[in-house]
Amino acid sequence: MTWLLAATEPVVRLTPQARIVAAILAVLFMLLILDLIRRDRLLERYSIVWFVMGLAMLAGAAFPGLLELIAKLIGVRDVTIALFSIVLMILLALSLNFSVIASRQSKQITRLAQQSAIETIEDPPEDD
Amino acid sequence: MLTAWGPGSHTGSSLEQNADTDRTAENIPIGKNRSVKILVFIPAWNEADSIGSVIEDARQHVPGAQVLVIDDGSGDNTAARARQAGAQVATLPFNQGVGAAHQTGYIYAMANGYELCGQIDGDGQHPAAELARLLAEVESGRADLVVGSRFAGDTTYNAPWARRTGQRLFSWIVSTATRQTLTDTTSGMRALNRRAMSLFATRYSSEFAEVESLQQAVRAGLTVKEIHVDMLPREQGTSFITPLKSAFYLFKTLTVLLVGQMRPRTKLPYEGDQ
Repeated sequence: MTWLLAATEPVVRLTPQARIVAAILAVLFMLLILDLIRRDRLLERYSIVWFVMGLAMLAGAAFPGLLELIAKLIGVRDVTIALFSIVLMILLALSLNFSVIASRQSKQITRLAQQSAIETIEDPPEDD
Repeated sequence: MLTAWGPGSHTGSSLEQNADTDRTAENIPIGKNRSVKILVFIPAWNEADSIGSVIEDARQHVPGAQVLVIDDGSGDNTAARARQAGAQVATLPFNQGVGAAHQTGYIYAMANGYELCGQIDGDGQHPAAELARLLAEVESGRADLVVGSRFAGDTTYNAPWARRTGQRLFSWIVSTATRQTLTDTTSGMRALNRRAMSLFATRYSSEFAEVESLQQAVRAGLTVKEIHVDMLPREQGTSFITPLKSAFYLFKTLTVLLVGQMRPRTKLPYEGDQ
């Protein structure tokens, strides 16, 4: 197994400056989420996943070892590439999740429209 | 005693008497049993010009039936014209597509105890006399779902060459998928019993209504049958025509059918009383 891991020691790491910027962005992001919930613009059930994303961002900035570990696990020598890959994967999963939600809601809307259409039927017309 | 009116059968004796004198002399073409509750529904989206004559045709040729127009969020006065012509109207609050409109009919028919349900398009290409034959076939118990086909047997229907080729290709695909010969897979003229209604009321494709529902019916174990009917050129509206659009439609339908083959088979919600 060692030959598999030999070449994957991370060589490009996050700079302290990037980590500070990331931490600030993460905090701002979480504040935005909190504000959206507070103003009833975002349902709690959809906000949790975003809040967790913010926390993960903060964790990544505070403990660079985490990212390096992930880079090592997926065999990428550039930590920033590992970061982008992970973020891309998470966004992909999230958007798929939203498509599923949209499909479900579209089905529910159709059902509602059909029920309301049936309610609009008036009594049978007088036969002439 | 005539009970062919749906929810209206309890609306008073005057109507019933009226209906009796109106109809006893008439030769109702479908079925020996005149107390069968029949719904004929017509999905319509902006068909104000043709809807009136379609309804009259339906009332004349399927006299025992309640005629219901399902107005799929029309922007014109389809609903008003339909009421004028003596039909009941269910209005969808916004355009939902043909599948949702069909399903509205099935849900209504199922909930209100209709034993037979027939459907024709609102553009005037389906003669109601032919629908009566389809309904009779379902009533006889020989099939759960009967589709009016332009192509089954010999035909005088004159479709453009490209369209006919497309239909053939479709037919081949659907026939392969269902292991049954189905020639007119996009036909919107159909008759069905409660077993078929219950299936479609539960789940019905929104975009590929006609094609996918045939596959669904066969997979659920329903008996699907095709009868040759003569259709007229449509009075209003146009079908998809450009080759590119057709090709894309074909591709989408293929995908839908492929996925449909992989769907778990569902048990029929309603098995009938037999």
